[in-house]
Amino acid sequence: MSSHSFAKVLVVAKDEWRYWLRSKLAISVLVIGLLLTLSAAIVTAVTMMELSHTRASLQDTAEQTFVDQPDRHPHRMVHYGHYAFRVPSPLSTIDPGVDAFTGNSIFLEGHRQNSAMFADQKQGTALTSLGSLSPAFILQVLAPLLLILIAYSSVSRERESQTLSFIVSQGTSIFTLIIGKGVALLCVVGLIMLPVIASSGIAIVQGESIVVVLSFLSAYVLYLLVWSLVVLLVSTAVSKNSESFTALLFVWVLFCIVMPRIASSTASASIVSPGKLETDFAVIAELRKLGDGHNANDPAFSKLKTSLLRQYNVETVEELPINFRGAVARASEAQLTEVLNRFAENSMQEELAQTQVSRNFGWLSPMVAIRSLSMISAGTSIETHHRFMREAEDLRFSFVQSLNQVHIDKLNYADDMNRNANAEAGQKARVSAENWQMIQDFKFQLESASARLHRSMPAFAQLFMWIAIAGSLIRFFGRRAI
Amino acid sequence: MNNKKTQFAIEANSLHVDIKNAPILRNLSFQVAEGEIYALLGGNGAGKSTTLKTLLGFNQPSSGKVFIAGQEVYSALDFIRRKTAYLPESATLYPHLSAYENVQYFLSLADIKKSEDELNQAFQRVSLQESAWHRQLQTYSKGMRQKTAIALALLREAPIFLLDEPTSGLDPVAIDEFNQLVRELASSGASILMVTHDVYGACQVADRIGLLRNGELVGEYDAPENGRIDTEQVHAAFAQRKAL
Repeated sequence: MSSHSFAKVLVVAKDEWRYWLRSKLAISVLVIGLLLTLSAAIVTAVTMMELSHTRASLQDTAEQTFVDQPDRHPHRMVHYGHYAFRVPSPLSTIDPGVDAFTGNSIFLEGHRQNSAMFADQKQGTALTSLGSLSPAFILQVLAPLLLILIAYSSVSRERESQTLSFIVSQGTSIFTLIIGKGVALLCVVGLIMLPVIASSGIAIVQGESIVVVLSFLSAYVLYLLVWSLVVLLVSTAVSKNSESFTALLFVWVLFCIVMPRIASSTASASIVSPGKLETDFAVIAELRKLGDGHNANDPAFSKLKTSLLRQYNVETVEELPINFRGAVARASEAQLTEVLNRFAENSMQEELAQTQVSRNFGWLSPMVAIRSLSMISAGTSIETHHRFMREAEDLRFSFVQSLNQVHIDKLNYADDMNRNANAEAGQKARVSAENWQMIQDFKFQLESASARLHRSMPAFAQLFMWIAIAGSLIRFFGRRAI
Repeated sequence: MNNKKTQFAIEANSLHVDIKNAPILRNLSFQVAEGEIYALLGGNGAGKSTTLKTLLGFNQPSSGKVFIAGQEVYSALDFIRRKTAYLPESATLYPHLSAYENVQYFLSLADIKKSEDELNQAFQRVSLQESAWHRQLQTYSKGMRQKTAIALALLREAPIFLLDEPTSGLDPVAIDEFNQLVRELASSGASILMVTHDVYGACQVADRIGLLRNGELVGEYDAPENGRIDTEQVHAAFAQRKAL
């Protein structure tokens, strides 16, 4: 574009702003949009920072409470349990993603894999399940509506009032006019995004990667560029303001309301996942095939017994230099964990496959594309939740097996067998509280920037496709607009 | 192929225009000389607006050629649009802008710089009252909007005016003012093509009238030396043709 044409574009953009500033509707919409984004950014940032602080503090408290326990039987500590808390990512102040639905803490104990608890949406009223007013929700769903309200008549009003042919007859190309109006609309996009840009700056200060933040912001700019082009396209293609408004509302409902629901429904229909109850029954059935880890005489552990007796070259478990009950508990935990992990992994793979089906709907709706891209970049996607579940499970297995090792090495078998005889025997079947120091610090870390960027590429491709389609259609209809 | 002609300000040669496979203009030929006012007179659907749109390059002729200032329209659209001032029927400028802002906006788009004095002179020349210059056009009458559009054309220094039903909806005083303004423009060398269905108005102002029916030019009437075209003669021909 020559500097002369660019100057014309700026003249058109400036006039479009003058039109909006003199229109009560446009100025009201602009002010509402700005206030909504600003208030959502502040409220969500404060909420997520509080959550982050609370969870970090609870994690420390849980660890301290565990190590402060008195001398006990090590297996009691296995059942006393521990907690793992997921500290939200810095960009979750803009897009909380699945965080609000999946739960953010897990109670870790022996022989069980518990689900994450304390999902914010489950703790709120029924209305909050409709979706909180996060900055991401505003940018993904409400900002397109604001762009429609401001600019639905951008080109159609020029045609309806015949200024379009007048302008073209004066030597200004219709594309200069459309691009000028697009530039004006992008300034609105910039204005709506200002609070989000400020929040992103805070995310960088909190340790988020600059590359990820830039990618995150670029994604939203691209998404709102898609909507700006769609608004201009419809306004160029139809001849009346009323037709433009109706058509754009239909497109908004289709892209932002209907398509995401169709995506979810298609995902759950195409990849059938057994319900929690069904899975729990299947897990119980599998676990019944294993031995009872609390019973050292369970025949399921006879091989272990034989193997240990042979290894230590003794005749009875009483002669073993280690606590056989502890060895059984350790072996049982390992077998049981293998089964639980298999089911958990299956369940996560099914969720991931469903998510993938849903993400493919980004080719049919730009809102689905930005929703995926936003959560992936912010580190609040289902993959992050799965990583939290896996890391929490590693922590659970590690601390349970460490306690079992203490059981094996530091508690005499005879004392252990005799622990319920009387109070004094009970005291003897305890180990020192110093052993609880083995609990590991749990710090849930952000996924690397490169992994998140790599995963977000398909959604970027989807947004670029939308830009190409809308741009081409504007060229096509622009030529026929006079 | 030679796309240059220099004889007339506007020239249509054997022009055929089809829209959606329907013939709208058929073998239309006419010329407008420099400083001449030519009125293309016709009823509804005669093809008047199509003729203007074709001259502006909005419609592609099926055959035949149109020339503006000696240039074939489709080969030099930018040149043509610099040379012409088009006034649509409703003289639609922006209602949210004042006359001043409208003119400044369109001049900026044309990359033309004019001083405030030059703008004032243009408004004075078209007799737009000074109190209205800074008022938004939504408070203007149609006549005032037309004056603003003509002031813009003057500032653009376009030598050729294409007017679409310019007096439609104007009161008699405004029509007289408008006709006087058009004559002044012509006397200063501007070539003016106006399309209208107003027989009386056309006869009052035009040097020559072409009668258009069903896309064909069915008659031309010249004004006598120092006189006006006979209204009754044209009216009779117009009414006769309409009755056919």
